[in-house]
Amino acid sequence: MDFQGILDRLVAIRAPGLVKADEPRKPDPKDKKDKGRAGDPFVIVEPALLASFVEACRDDDRLHFEQLVDLTATDPSKDSADLWINVQLLSLKFRHRLAIKALLPKSAAKLPSLVPVYRASQWHERECAEMFGIVFEGHPDPRNILLPDDWVGSPLRKDYEFPKEYHGISCE
Amino acid sequence: MANEVTKTMPPSTRLRQTDVGEVTVDIRTPDLEINFGPQHPATHGVMRVLMRTDGELVTGAQPHLGYLHRCAEKIGENVEWLQYLPYTDRYDYLASMNNNLGYSLAVEALLGVEIPRRATLIRIICAELNRIGSHLVAFGTYGLDIGAFTPFLYCFREREWMMALFEKICGARLTYSYIRIGGVFNDAPPGWFEEVARFCDVFEQKWPEYVDLLLVNQIYVKRTANVGVISREMALDFGLTGTMVRGSGIDWDLRRDMPYMCYGEIWRDGAFKIPVAKGEMGALGDCWDRSWVRVMEMMESIKIVRWCLDHMVDGPVIGELPKTLKVPAGEAYVGIENPRGELGHYVVSDGGKVSVRTRVRGPSFCNLAVLEDILPGALVGDAIAIIGSTDIVVGETDR
Repeated sequence: MDFQGILDRLVAIRAPGLVKADEPRKPDPKDKKDKGRAGDPFVIVEPALLASFVEACRDDDRLHFEQLVDLTATDPSKDSADLWINVQLLSLKFRHRLAIKALLPKSAAKLPSLVPVYRASQWHERECAEMFGIVFEGHPDPRNILLPDDWVGSPLRKDYEFPKEYHGISCE
Repeated sequence: MANEVTKTMPPSTRLRQTDVGEVTVDIRTPDLEINFGPQHPATHGVMRVLMRTDGELVTGAQPHLGYLHRCAEKIGENVEWLQYLPYTDRYDYLASMNNNLGYSLAVEALLGVEIPRRATLIRIICAELNRIGSHLVAFGTYGLDIGAFTPFLYCFREREWMMALFEKICGARLTYSYIRIGGVFNDAPPGWFEEVARFCDVFEQKWPEYVDLLLVNQIYVKRTANVGVISREMALDFGLTGTMVRGSGIDWDLRRDMPYMCYGEIWRDGAFKIPVAKGEMGALGDCWDRSWVRVMEMMESIKIVRWCLDHMVDGPVIGELPKTLKVPAGEAYVGIENPRGELGHYVVSDGGKVSVRTRVRGPSFCNLAVLEDILPGALVGDAIAIIGSTDIVVGETDR
């Protein structure tokens, strides 16, 4: 199914938390400041309902997203009030993908864990948690995965300041 | 006594049906926690698995990563688009060509440049040769892990030639940075395609040696069949990809099912097949099935290389691109079939010279997550066989 087909189906099954679709577009020739947007289409979803949304995507027999391929976050800029949660779903049966984005306010970076729906998200969520300071509520094993257990700060946030030393070892 | 202990074991524990009586679990010992790694030859890098054992039986496992974490994603936000390319070499260092390709395709998805046909074909040749090299290491060192030294030397014999071929085309043996955004770095030197064709001929003759020496070797089969079984449901739930998912009997390959470059054309020509495990030696999804898929895939890669050689065209090898690349604002995710599974790059641009986010979805990272579930219930000796069969490259799990 192409993106439009998936979107129609999501609307038809009333997938919980669906906000809108964002599709790539060419720059507007009349507006010089408008750069347009390149790349893939994606859907925007309420973060609190993300777990229910992917569950609906997995269980619907026409969408049939058996796999969660990737879950990550993005900090678009220092000034942005939101973090993005980016999820990539894949259907092996129908050979289609869906990119999902959830806008998560930096002031309350919390959302329910997707582990009950896809076990695949377990390690991705741990990585997201340590790199962006996001709390996945209900995660079965919320330890750091790539960073040491005593690491301070969220390295992939744009306002992260590089440490001057680590356990007495100078980093400068 | 033996029966009593068997009852308390987790349900996944099994004495192998063919081997009942060979393994006797008779005394329950106090739990012992052992560190497997970080410096252990069978972890293929620096990784630690904390195992809880009861005698020879593994009752719990917890992989600890991060020893090789080099902040690839953070670096991606601090260097220009073209400058990031050499860093892609360094996550899965056994398949650098494929990493270059994945990143280049992701950036090209935003740029919308047209790739010359000759560049596409050279890219596929390099990616497939690198896949063969990567599977040779995976298969050879897997034999090494479980006690067969000789096949490893046979595998490295052919890999050496493959690396010499890459040295001729780009000057490097391991970290190539040859496939660039827009095409490839330079054209193949005179006589290179002929040598690749010779390599294909010789490889086809040598390939049965791997099968005879190791794959159908009785000792090897006994060590790997019925060990570390991953069911179809588990493979899907854990997001396994590539050889791991085909080893569990799922017919899925991005080159055929979501074709990129001209793989779709090659598939329609009937040039290659997708080997899918059938559980010939034991339960479907065991270690033997996964190594069988790897060995069979090498021959399919040879066929793809041959197709590209036959359809080679003249022309430029890199598209027209400015020296300082500015990528249009937007975001794209591109997943390609790496030797280890789906290598995904998620790139976000705000229209500038530097990316906003470069996310790398390493297949080894996702494939490794399954260890926590399949190690408990196995014997310590089998744990080595199971970890080896997931074919991880720690550079990629930690990035």
